Amino acid sequence: MTEPSAPMTPEERDALASELALGLLTGAERAEALRLQLSDPAFAADVTAWERRLAPLHHDFAEHRPSLEVWAGIAAQIEPKATVASGVTRQLRVWRASALVSGALAASLAFVLLFRPPASLPPQIVQAAPANQMAVAQMVGQGSNMLVAARYDETTAQLNLRAENLPQGDLAPELWVIPADGKPRSLGMISARGTTRMAVSPKMRAMLENGVTLAITMEPAATAPHAAPSSAPVAAGKISII
Amino acid sequence: MSTAEPSSGPDAARSKLIDALQAVAQQDRAALRQVYDMTSAKLFGICLRISNDRDAAEDILQDVYIKVWNRAGRFDAGRASPITWLCAIARNSAIDWRRASGRVATAPEEAAFAIADTRMRADQTIEQDQETTRIHQCIDTLEERQATAIRAAFFDGLTYADLSARMDVPLGTMKSWMRRGLQRLKGCLGDD
Repeated sequence: MTEPSAPMTPEERDALASELALGLLTGAERAEALRLQLSDPAFAADVTAWERRLAPLHHDFAEHRPSLEVWAGIAAQIEPKATVASGVTRQLRVWRASALVSGALAASLAFVLLFRPPASLPPQIVQAAPANQMAVAQMVGQGSNMLVAARYDETTAQLNLRAENLPQGDLAPELWVIPADGKPRSLGMISARGTTRMAVSPKMRAMLENGVTLAITMEPAATAPHAAPSSAPVAAGKISII
Repeated sequence: MSTAEPSSGPDAARSKLIDALQAVAQQDRAALRQVYDMTSAKLFGICLRISNDRDAAEDILQDVYIKVWNRAGRFDAGRASPITWLCAIARNSAIDWRRASGRVATAPEEAAFAIADTRMRADQTIEQDQETTRIHQCIDTLEERQATAIRAAFFDGLTYADLSARMDVPLGTMKSWMRRGLQRLKGCLGDD
């Protein structure tokens, strides 16, 4: 659960990346590879490289015309006042699958949450650590200038986030914590630019543990907070306790 | 980044698609309709091939365009061709459906070879066409069983378990064929 059993050689890592990109894996093997994709930027880069290698094959799928009802169904779902709540369970399932599907994170950024153990570290170390972690962000978000850094102070239960270059538009970024049960819980909306400070509720505090995933999805701000995300994350990363 | 854009032909279609996706990112519904008109036959072909079920394929296709609606802001024209980006969403969605529905492979093994006869390339640039030709040339250099397995995995969305059943070999054997085949493919493509 916490540490990989044995470190993989670069060859093994690339072989696993090829299997994930091609879609050969199922069950526990697939889950483990997807988890690795979220936590290991080098592995994520291998998967992306395999997706690029295989991409030209897409052009050999033959075209077929769908029936006219398909567009009617899409149009109904993108109406301005679409009922977001109606399909929460289904959306959650779709989100979980799509969040983990390789392409979803290729253009994303690393999301680093830094814990400060109560009164144990001098402030300078806390200040210095983000720069260290940013290197990870750069690797995962190659080609993208999106960045979210987060710092959580356990003594005050205050979460501070700094966002740069998140998508702007009608939708706003919503922060989720995804604990071991795999169900995203909303921590609330955050600002697409600059700093957001939020107080974390006691229930949510317990979920902010080492290795747990944080993610950001773009959601309608008016109806926040949401029971479940409606789209794949634009950013995801693991909590590191320092 | 792209260089000169001709006013017609595949490159023009590509820039039109990029523009439409960028408008979709601003929640422009007419732009989604445009993306749909330009790409739905292609993406439906992917959903249909992998799901092998017309009704399911239409449901998957609907989901695909809702995902496009939600994710268009993350499409980066500097990193991926628009049609490849869309195809990947369709293929992944169809594969997820297959996994969730517990659908087992029913098409005969030879189906993987039939692909070559049904190629549709109207939306491709010359560069993409060359890349497609190249990967086929590389797959053709593999042992026949490796080539068959790779094509079946890509075009039919088959897993290791499906492939081992369909090709009637133990799972471990399938896995080592596949891993060797993919590494040889990588060597042939020579992009590292």
